[in-house]
Amino acid sequence: MRLLLLSFAIVFVSCKKDDPLTPTLPTIPNQEEVITTLNYTLTAPNGDVVLFSFKDVDGDGGNAPVIVNGALDTNLTYSGKIELLNETVSPAEDITEEVKEEGDEHQIFYQFSNPDLGTTYTDADANGKPIGVSTQLITKGTFSSTLTITLRHTPDKNASDVASGDISNAGGETDIEVTFDVDVK
Amino acid sequence: MLNSFFTLLIVFAFCVQSTAQTCNLNISGRLTDETTSKPIVYGNVFIKELKLGSVSDTAGNFKIQGVCPGNYHLVISHIGCETIEYFLNLRNDTVMGISLDHNHHHLHEVSITAKLKERSIQESQTIGKQDLEENGDKNLSTLLDQMSGVSSIKNGSGIAKPVVHGLYGNRLAIMNNGVAQSGQQWGVDHSPEIDPLSANEITVIKGVGAVEYQGNSLGSVILVEPSRIKREPHLHGSGNYFFESNGLGNVLHFSLQQYKNVGLEIGWKVDATVKKSGDNRSPNYYLRNTGNEEANVALQFEKAIRKNWIMDAYLSSFNAKPGVLRGAHIGNLTDLDEAFNRSEPFFTQDKFSYEIEAPRQQVNHHLMKLHSMYFITPNQKLEFTYAVQLNQRKEFDVRRGGRSDIPTLSLDQVSNFGEVKYLSDFGENWEFKTGVQVNHTDNTNVPETNILPLIPNYVAIEYGAFGILAKAWDKTTFEIGGRYDLENRNVATISNSVPRSIVKYSNSYSNFSAMSGVSQQLIKNWKLLGNIGFANRNPEVNELYSNGLHQGVSGIELGEVTLRPEQSLKGTLSLKGKVKNKLFFEALGYYQVIEDYIFLNPSNEVRLTIRGAFPVFKYEQTNASIYGLDFSTVYQITSHLETKIQYSYLKGDDNSQGIPLIFMPANNLYGALTYDVKNWNLGRGKWENIELQVNNRFVFEQMHILPSQDFIQTPKAYNLIGAKVSAERQVGKFRFNFYLRAENILNTVYRDYLNRQRYFADDLGVNIIAGINAKF
Repeated sequence: MRLLLLSFAIVFVSCKKDDPLTPTLPTIPNQEEVITTLNYTLTAPNGDVVLFSFKDVDGDGGNAPVIVNGALDTNLTYSGKIELLNETVSPAEDITEEVKEEGDEHQIFYQFSNPDLGTTYTDADANGKPIGVSTQLITKGTFSSTLTITLRHTPDKNASDVASGDISNAGGETDIEVTFDVDVK
Repeated sequence: MLNSFFTLLIVFAFCVQSTAQTCNLNISGRLTDETTSKPIVYGNVFIKELKLGSVSDTAGNFKIQGVCPGNYHLVISHIGCETIEYFLNLRNDTVMGISLDHNHHHLHEVSITAKLKERSIQESQTIGKQDLEENGDKNLSTLLDQMSGVSSIKNGSGIAKPVVHGLYGNRLAIMNNGVAQSGQQWGVDHSPEIDPLSANEITVIKGVGAVEYQGNSLGSVILVEPSRIKREPHLHGSGNYFFESNGLGNVLHFSLQQYKNVGLEIGWKVDATVKKSGDNRSPNYYLRNTGNEEANVALQFEKAIRKNWIMDAYLSSFNAKPGVLRGAHIGNLTDLDEAFNRSEPFFTQDKFSYEIEAPRQQVNHHLMKLHSMYFITPNQKLEFTYAVQLNQRKEFDVRRGGRSDIPTLSLDQVSNFGEVKYLSDFGENWEFKTGVQVNHTDNTNVPETNILPLIPNYVAIEYGAFGILAKAWDKTTFEIGGRYDLENRNVATISNSVPRSIVKYSNSYSNFSAMSGVSQQLIKNWKLLGNIGFANRNPEVNELYSNGLHQGVSGIELGEVTLRPEQSLKGTLSLKGKVKNKLFFEALGYYQVIEDYIFLNPSNEVRLTIRGAFPVFKYEQTNASIYGLDFSTVYQITSHLETKIQYSYLKGDDNSQGIPLIFMPANNLYGALTYDVKNWNLGRGKWENIELQVNNRFVFEQMHILPSQDFIQTPKAYNLIGAKVSAERQVGKFRFNFYLRAENILNTVYRDYLNRQRYFADDLGVNIIAGINAKF
């Protein structure tokens, strides 16, 4: 009976593939859109560099991300730079360029738990609205804070206070949301 | 007890030899009620061409004498029945057995049938052609959720999946024209790819086990059936156009059919539908990007090779492009949280648009079915079916770098199905049905997405065999059936760890299922039905192997490769009847226990990703129970006025954890008051079958859920008021049906628990549908 059924089945499927019981092997995708790494470099006027980094090479599952936090000196004006990388491909792809090219569809937001810290935008898209890849940060006093960096895709840049860095009315989809610890000494 | 195909057989086969060519032929026969098999008294049988007719006597017999040979259309009608028209090529004295669906007008639910071979004695409810036409704006699921015990899981207004007795997706089989609908049924946001306008009737079997059908079902089955081609040499057809105000939707459907006698008798039928609608509107704002475009066609051929041998073919193509609410596309839990607290969704525009952009879906489903029916004797037949289905699903999200036109999910599925069935009537009202089935499914991710696929590639081969035995006595009918299934599945997936590699799995499942039922007539017109069934469902690939972020719900979903099949035991008990032809009622209670019920369990783990922290949900198994009550009643207040009340109650529990099951339909109460007039002479024309209806649907709040089981509080109870007017008119050869329907007349703001869009937006506001249907 089994044999009868099997032959019955093979008649229907045999014309399709060489082996009707083997699935097509999946193609491992070239995930060109993935962001694995965010580097936030703060450069002091004397050239000293502080690096904040979030790296999750295997994506949403798998191993935990590697996070590097940094310490800042007080009473300094740092210039900040964001670098976004896709390290699933080799050599790593620089996503920052893509974000800058589509500047009107992206904005990076910086939220500190301590209100004494804040960034100002030093770049602009084609419409004169900030993107947030380049920023400036002034430190005063000594304390600890958390910093949440958020990259929004298709935010409403015209909504109130969005251009000055307030995320609450921005909307859009979150492509990145990472949190660092910041020590100001 | 006459079956529908049996009826057909009698009509065609039992021609008594007599002298021809003189006008002395007789057409005689018997009218019976399809439901009770009782004779229909005072039924009309009328020859259209001759304006000659007869009325059936107390035994249901009728006779029309002195008819010349020729081609005639017989019109058979009776109060409360759907009028049927029948073409007859009269050569000899002809005896006909005709069964009428007597309760059609009153209560779909009562038309539980004695047609054992076509339906079992399990509970069923049917939506007929006219209802399908007058509700053409709805999809398969929203059409059916008007029934008690049936609801819809929606993703906005255009995407909906039917839920029967709390089960949906892979736990509910959908049979399209006798073939299990293939495709990505596991997705809660994947609508069944079926055009209800091309169907003749849709039946929901609220069953305990679908032993006759292959495919996953833990009891209930939805049968979508096209009409058979009328044996009628003239071209017949219909056209249906309607407009809906919400979404400015336009829909056109037409159907043409003919049975041609050119040496070889061939019947053909074509059905086509085109739909286009734009942004829907909730009471206070437009729902951006919720339009839909659809174009479907179905072709049917039938050829009688011999009197006892019929071949038929069915080809259909379903093509849809539904949009998904733009504001429902979110990146992480922060976004979701923000979306909850907004008065209107992000991206809401002040203006209406037909434009459909990402996020959207694009679904194509093609079916070819070849079927042959061979009568060995009038009491024995063999049926052969071969069907191939091609399902293509692409889903588009808002992507960076101009990639929104590249799908994020792209799946092709090809399935091949073969079946041999044998049916027999024997002895004193015994019936036996048996069959073997084989199904081959090949599911492939199209490597165009450039992201890791959500479900793996796989090939599944399923073998099945079943047998059903039934016996009818005077007042009792008994049925018992069993089924065996063997499924082998080979899976190829991509590893979760880097470097990525291909991982292969093989699963094999072997299951027995069984069901039994009894129907007992208690007193006159009262019937008690009891069914019990044991069924299985194999774990689906998404439950076994998914691993990753499910964007729409902002959770990481982890499959579990060790899942076992679910095992279900379900019992139903129903009482139905009528009191003095004025009060019709049906009450159905059911209880289902599912061992190893597979569900997504929120774990305490939160996983950190570059997009933020996401809760982790794991596919786990538990012991669940679902029980409920469906109740409906129709009361004929006067000969023109009737009222209908319908109530559904359902409760689902996770017994192992002692908590409610999530995503179970809320209880609801429906009432309608209908006034109908047979004829109304107005000026020069005569309007017929005029019907006016007001209806009200109250949906309770889903209270049987813990606050920790959802992101936000479940929606409040809501009440929707609707109305409907329809009338028919004959103009020359054409019969027109005009209808006007209004839904949510008061523009009530509401959200529905089973609508996934409820996190982001209000449900639909007022909608007025105006349509015209012409038949010739």
